Amino acid sequence: MDKALEHKFVELLEKHQNIVHKVCRLYTNNQEAHNDLFQEITIQLWKAYPKFRGDSKFSTWMYRVGLNTAITLYRKSKRSITTQEFESVQFKIKSEPYDDTEEQQLKLLYNAVHQLNDIEKALVFLYLEDKNYSEISETLGITEVNARVKMNRVKKKLKTILNP
Amino acid sequence: MDELELLKKDWQKGNDNYPKLSYQEIYSMILKKSSSIVKWIFIISILEFVFWIVISFGLKASGYSMDIEGLEKKFGFIAITILSYGILAYFFYRFYMNYKTINTADTAKNLMENILKTRRTVKQYVFFNLVVLVIGVAYMMPIAINQDENSRALLEQATANGELLKYYASIALVTIIALAIGIAILLLFYWLIYGILLKRLNRNYHELKKLEV
Repeated sequence: MDKALEHKFVELLEKHQNIVHKVCRLYTNNQEAHNDLFQEITIQLWKAYPKFRGDSKFSTWMYRVGLNTAITLYRKSKRSITTQEFESVQFKIKSEPYDDTEEQQLKLLYNAVHQLNDIEKALVFLYLEDKNYSEISETLGITEVNARVKMNRVKKKLKTILNP
Repeated sequence: MDELELLKKDWQKGNDNYPKLSYQEIYSMILKKSSSIVKWIFIISILEFVFWIVISFGLKASGYSMDIEGLEKKFGFIAITILSYGILAYFFYRFYMNYKTINTADTAKNLMENILKTRRTVKQYVFFNLVVLVIGVAYMMPIAINQDENSRALLEQATANGELLKYYASIALVTIIALAIGIAILLLFYWLIYGILLKRLNRNYHELKKLEV
């Protein structure tokens, strides 16, 4: 493929790389797996790039390819979560400290999200990224009504995980 | 506050906390090889096509060696040969078209469906070959028995002893058992390979399908 295309793609991905990091954050439990998934998503984005027509924004297109890679194409099996591994990831990308209770609650929440299945994680991810239900339904290929229903179930499931 | 709202607030604050990969690091990544299931399904499918082409050549070659003068002129043999190539071309065309529709920027559900469709085409091709194999063996077995001198001697001996039925039954039984073992090994092999490769996809596809019910 030609150099100009390569250059344009790498520049765009460098700018929007957070989207890929965020997908990896939800779907992996340790640094090694994070890097591995990041690489696979990058390869898939690059392979799909010549077909990217610019009908949608580059970032919107990235959400699709990124999630599809994590949900469908990624082959490596997930290793079971060990608390130590999970916490090391959490500490590395820890945000501003709040008061202890809120920080503790967030830790539990992230932990709970990691226990969801792949599709539930995708819904949560798009929700956290402030996507509306129409975008969520278009990304996953389900109806808007089903996306809402599923989201409500996910919220309930998270509550159950947090307060068993 | 809703738990997810709290999470969202934190999630959106954390944008500066992710690693920043350089242009060079990203560039080196696009040069690496993918390990996606689509790539593996493609490779395995091609191997399956090759495997069955080799098997069909093998069968034909053994057919020719059994009856050089007559077999290639027999209508059944010619019909099976033409039909099998036609069907191979048809399956390969369908496989290629399905494969081309796989688009990683598609919706998650469509992508999963297209991958499963590609897999289904190859599965049908394998099934078709198993049927042809069984028909082929059933068709060639009597010819092979008549051609082979040892078999003929055994047949004559069985006729003399009045055990003709027993002779044919034991040949049929051995053939059926051999075919059944061969098919079972193949199916186990497919089941293992695709079971491992498509485990995640199947689980997630059912999760999405479940919503429609």
